[in-house]
Amino acid sequence: MEYYTSVLMFGAISTIGTLGTFVLTGLTGLFSLGQAAFMAIGAYSAAMGVVRYNLPFAPAVILSVGIAVGLAYIIGYATLNLRQDYFALSTFGFGEAVRAVLTTSVQLTGGALGMTGIPKLTTGPLVVISLVVVVWLIRNVRVSRFGRECVALRLDETAAQAMGVDVFWRKMQVFMLGAALSAYAGALLAFYTSYAEPNMFGWMRSVEWIIMVFLGGRDSLTGALLGSFVLNTAPEVLRFASQMRTAIYCILILVTLNLRPRGLLGAWELSFSGIFGQRRSAVTRGGGSQHVS
Amino acid sequence: MIIQQLVNGFSVGAVYALIAVGFGLVFNVLKFSNFSHGSTMGISAYIAYLFAMKFHLSIVPTVSIGTIAGGICAVLVELIAFRPLRKRGGQIVYFFVTSITMLMLLENILVIFFGDTFYAFPKMIASTAITVAGVSISTLYLVMLGCSVCALALLSYWLKYTKMGVAIRAASCAINTCNLMGANVDAVISWTFFVAGLMAGLSGSLLGISYTLYPQIGQIVVKGFIASVVGGLGNLTGAVVGAILLGILEVFFIATIGAGLTPAATFAIMVLFLFLRPQGVAGTIVRDKA
Repeated sequence: MEYYTSVLMFGAISTIGTLGTFVLTGLTGLFSLGQAAFMAIGAYSAAMGVVRYNLPFAPAVILSVGIAVGLAYIIGYATLNLRQDYFALSTFGFGEAVRAVLTTSVQLTGGALGMTGIPKLTTGPLVVISLVVVVWLIRNVRVSRFGRECVALRLDETAAQAMGVDVFWRKMQVFMLGAALSAYAGALLAFYTSYAEPNMFGWMRSVEWIIMVFLGGRDSLTGALLGSFVLNTAPEVLRFASQMRTAIYCILILVTLNLRPRGLLGAWELSFSGIFGQRRSAVTRGGGSQHVS
Repeated sequence: MIIQQLVNGFSVGAVYALIAVGFGLVFNVLKFSNFSHGSTMGISAYIAYLFAMKFHLSIVPTVSIGTIAGGICAVLVELIAFRPLRKRGGQIVYFFVTSITMLMLLENILVIFFGDTFYAFPKMIASTAITVAGVSISTLYLVMLGCSVCALALLSYWLKYTKMGVAIRAASCAINTCNLMGANVDAVISWTFFVAGLMAGLSGSLLGISYTLYPQIGQIVVKGFIASVVGGLGNLTGAVVGAILLGILEVFFIATIGAGLTPAATFAIMVLFLFLRPQGVAGTIVRDKA
């Protein structure tokens, strides 16, 4: 029982991190290959705050989220004006740089061996409440004017700009929000596993997050939530088939991308009122007109 | 010492250039970043290894087998993963997501068949270093440099003077128009992947021979990604320049501040560069909307 609880907790924490990718990619269409680095920043700075500087739990977590948001602002300021590939490349470079710094500053972080002795402060209720609040927050962001402006700029940046959307600033805000979510998940993770090592947060992790988001559908919060929860939990549950499991996912995702390119759930949302669901799908319908012939 | 580092940097950069050019070729035609290029590198390196072990091959046949395996593998990847998507008129983002999924899938298949261990190619070159005018240069680095330069020269000849090369360049410009002008776009794309795959196979087997072989070897594709973006996506010459700069920078940083912090230093230089020259080395901007 304990084992399954911990698997679920772990899955829920990773899901919060993955939702950082969902926000960024689903709202603005940007790809961050360094999203997991924000998780690393959250994990390490919160853990260091508590272990090395004796901060209480909550301020340490808030501080770590603040650091991640600040860094996101700096990277975004430099690259969000440029083409999307530059953004992907810069986030990739950022992620690897973070990992390199964490690995080499051995005195502070424990280096490649990882940081141990982090107190176990993350509790089950905290994780569940966090996940619920985060989902509620994202859902509200997506249906707000802000979210609709973001989807508009994803579909056609020039048109959105012509309609008065401040493209750069919207992208920046979304990027900072995504960074905050991933960093928060990192802080929860560090205090749950009481351990952090740089290689948990490599660029392939960010890539996995992108894949998870696309499996469920980047236009569907429900889909992304289910996709990331299942794929974040399954590795633990499917330990017996450890060799095959990644291969199985990948095939599953390839098939999905071919048969239902917009993800398993498309733009469908689980909602309490039907009207609400319809209005939202009207916002996010019509996945753009960029086709490759 | 400095000259030696420069030569090493050039050799590493030349291999990165191979990767970047293969990466860039596919980007030019289909306008998406093809990360599955890395898995082609990995698979061809393992195939080269298998043949080298089984038949005790010397370096030339080993690398040739790796190269051809890369070409075939890339064509198969295109047939399995990208062609169905293309026929359905999928958006560019789905190509990108498919390519990163293929990277993970093929990497995992390597883990399933070969395990998560390191392999070393048999020793293929007798002397490890030669000395020219007081500068000692590793033979392997020279082989890497020579192979890469030859391959790049052949490729540029092929792109310039053969019919298929012209078709690929036309498709890079405007794939629909190219189709209207009577080029068989499916064939053009298959050829693009084949040639890109040859580059991947060559770079993969060279990297495998000079370092070690492990399932994650395909992740070196990001060096090609960096080089081709810094070089100005869509421009192969720029990609080569970017790759060689990257190689020299890396060797220089490893020699001065150590391998651990090299990614951080490279990142800093990269951001600075993009800040000063956002259009890349080549200075041409390809509009894309992934």
